[in-house]
Amino acid sequence: MLQLILFNLFNGLIIGAFYVLVSLGLSMILNLSNVINFAHGNFLALGGYLAYALIPFIGFWPSLLVAPLATALIGYVIEVTMISRLYGRDPIYSLLLTFGLAFMLQDACRYIWGVNGLPLSVPNNISQPLSQTYFFLNAYRLFLVGIVVVSVLGLFAFLRYSRMGMRIRAGILDLDTVSALGINVRMLRSLNFAFGIFLAGLAGVLAGGQIGLNPNMGDTLLLPSFVAIIVGGMGSLVGTLLGGLTIGVAAALTAVVWPAGSDVVVYIIMAVVLLVRPRGFLGEEGMQ
Amino acid sequence: MSDSPMLEVSNVTKTFGSLVAVREVSLTVARGELRAIIGPNGAGKTTFFNLISGFFPPTKGRIIFDGQDVTNGPVPGRVKRGMARTFQITEVFPELPVRENVRIAVEVAAGYALRPRLSATERAGVNRAIDELLQRTRITEKADRLVGELAHGDQRIAEIAMALALKPRLLLLDEPTAGMGEQETFEIAGLIRRLHREENYSIVLVEHDMRLVFHLADRITVLAEGALLADGTPADIAANPDVQAAYLGHAA
Amino acid sequence: MSATVIQAPGGDAPGGQLQARQRILTLVMVWAILLSAPLWLPLVGGYTSLGTRILVLGLAAMALNFLVGFTGMVSFGHAAYFGLGVYGCGLILRYVTASTPLGLLAGLVLGGVAGTVIGALIARRRGIYFAMVTIAFQEIFYFIAYKWNGLTGGFDGLRGFTRANLHLGFATLDIIKNDVVFYYFVLFIFALVVAVMGLILLSPFGRTLLAIRENERRARFLGINIERHIWLAFTLSSIFIAIAGGLYALLNNFADPSSLYTDLSGELVIMCVLGGIRVFWGPLLGAAVYVVLQDYISSHTVNWLFFVGGVFVIVVLFFPRGLLGMLRRRRDA
Repeated sequence: MLQLILFNLFNGLIIGAFYVLVSLGLSMILNLSNVINFAHGNFLALGGYLAYALIPFIGFWPSLLVAPLATALIGYVIEVTMISRLYGRDPIYSLLLTFGLAFMLQDACRYIWGVNGLPLSVPNNISQPLSQTYFFLNAYRLFLVGIVVVSVLGLFAFLRYSRMGMRIRAGILDLDTVSALGINVRMLRSLNFAFGIFLAGLAGVLAGGQIGLNPNMGDTLLLPSFVAIIVGGMGSLVGTLLGGLTIGVAAALTAVVWPAGSDVVVYIIMAVVLLVRPRGFLGEEGMQ
Repeated sequence: MSDSPMLEVSNVTKTFGSLVAVREVSLTVARGELRAIIGPNGAGKTTFFNLISGFFPPTKGRIIFDGQDVTNGPVPGRVKRGMARTFQITEVFPELPVRENVRIAVEVAAGYALRPRLSATERAGVNRAIDELLQRTRITEKADRLVGELAHGDQRIAEIAMALALKPRLLLLDEPTAGMGEQETFEIAGLIRRLHREENYSIVLVEHDMRLVFHLADRITVLAEGALLADGTPADIAANPDVQAAYLGHAA
Repeated sequence: MSATVIQAPGGDAPGGQLQARQRILTLVMVWAILLSAPLWLPLVGGYTSLGTRILVLGLAAMALNFLVGFTGMVSFGHAAYFGLGVYGCGLILRYVTASTPLGLLAGLVLGGVAGTVIGALIARRRGIYFAMVTIAFQEIFYFIAYKWNGLTGGFDGLRGFTRANLHLGFATLDIIKNDVVFYYFVLFIFALVVAVMGLILLSPFGRTLLAIRENERRARFLGINIERHIWLAFTLSSIFIAIAGGLYALLNNFADPSSLYTDLSGELVIMCVLGGIRVFWGPLLGAAVYVVLQDYISSHTVNWLFFVGGVFVIVVLFFPRGLLGMLRRRRDA
């Protein structure tokens, strides 16, 4: 029984880690650009596939960095050429654009890499279980959690201490003032978008090593990540972080007692939060 | 009740975080009075105005409108009691004709906001009220144009017509001539004067144009740095050394 | 139905009589096309049930546009209420009784109740955040339909029901086997719902919705209770779209979870934009173009999804006003 609980908790931690990576990227883009990126899950898949293509040439470890960077570059180009043209317009347009992009990216991956799942090979020395009893613990999964922790800490340090990070935070609070100070808001949004996509790409490579690749691999993460943002409170990245962890762990704990309910609990939490505290854990008043 | 002042604001304070936007300001507006609120930029005029109209509640203090405490009341309640406002940046329904803008206001004021249909008599009543409002504000000729396509001054007049449709006893006008040319300012000043002198509305207005203020107001309230600096007749205010210092200080 | 009733409130060019005449002309054209569709559809390579499909999805898109185009609130989760209409109708026909009207009614109630409850929860949100919450709630219903295998058939969908013929007392309408009769039955329901929608938009209540769309701050300071009106608009729109959902169940004799899925919500929104969200009939035209286009693309390539996505991107970047919106612009200019 203890083993089962630990197994589920650890799985919850892993799933929560993915929710956090995906929802932080989504949240960054939502906060600064006021855009819901429906294609986020497809950028995630793209990151995984790019790693798949790169590993034979440069190996796993370099791919872990290069594939997300390449994904971010593609995201950057898409932002500059298409999404940025819709800023300031009715939100319906950016919603539809990223929705269409999601279809296109998904089908492009399918066309290039095939409909069937592909394995993403992880170096042998980290994929073996660490113990017989706790078979679910292997170095790769521990490493995965470690990478996510480091990335999240890095992201928050970047937002707090770097000049650009501070500008992004200021822009989330008051874009007009930031613009009046002579900061290039357009550039700031493009780079911020690329950062968000980088996180998605990273999640894609990590997820690929964990469950393999398929063109729809991001879909199951996308909607719970929306919930993480709503629960955590819109406009707050720390809130998103808490939201992601909360639903990840809640889903895992539910799986112990009621396996079928682990998906449902995510939405129950959302409904309760919306009823009891409509702005979420750390949401700003008025940011709703 | 009819002996009570139109509006009685006592010691209201509004803070945003650590910023005190309005500090302990009181003001009493008598029935039929036209009160102007002036002050240098950043004096807290618009915040004060927003407190009166219920845009947000004050941190401290009380607001009595027509004998009733409305301090924390929501906007629809104030409107129902007879308070209507316009905005510094004209707020209209740009993609609808002037007539339809006014129609919406008339219907809401008549309590038809949730009605799926009107009887012929009701509809005729609404149309009559619209025509009358358009005439009073002298915008009948432009009634079928989209408001968004009109000149700035005419948009403002349409906005005032909508406010009048609510049959208010107190009109709140936030910088009615902001951004207007000479001719437009003149027209709006004429409209405000007619409303005040001939139709006996109580009016509170925030205004930058000093000629207009001294020309129209019965009394003037001066705010500076969120606090009350002076309160009196135009002659008092013109002679007040503090007011001159405040304006000159900021002009320098 | 009175001819002057259904028009596009707001956004219309001014000009009194000319405007009224154009409105009647539009109505005559729309109804002439819809009433004669079964006659000419086969001649242009179509078939009757394609026309029925367009009618049903067009009704769904128009119901959504009641909220998106005329209240200014973008729901990206309206497939939820459409899908509840589908399941409500399907479940009644499958488990309770073989009655077409009862099925439609059950769909309406199921979608309407859900829309009422959720509308109350989200009416305070605006813009992109409103859209976001509608998406998240949609997922709840998708999950229920997907997981409740015993009742809904889960991922495979609900089968084993068919629409029932209509007994009118003096006659029986064979809507099971006769596609044309079924088309006219759907058109009849379509006309009823669209008439109600048009009447509401022309009423004082409808004008308050336009007011909220045009300028929420002004509307609030006119004394309109904004949240209550948005809630009502959301509820009405979910009822209308649930009726379309019921018709969809009758059309396919099948209910599956994809009718509650995000992808359908996105498709309904693109239909609205493609036709023109400021124009009453826009979403119907949008639905027709989208359905035909999708039919065409998917019969020519397996990578149809890529091209459908491309349609979204092109419409948003190059034709944001939609087909009828552009037409009106040119007429006004």
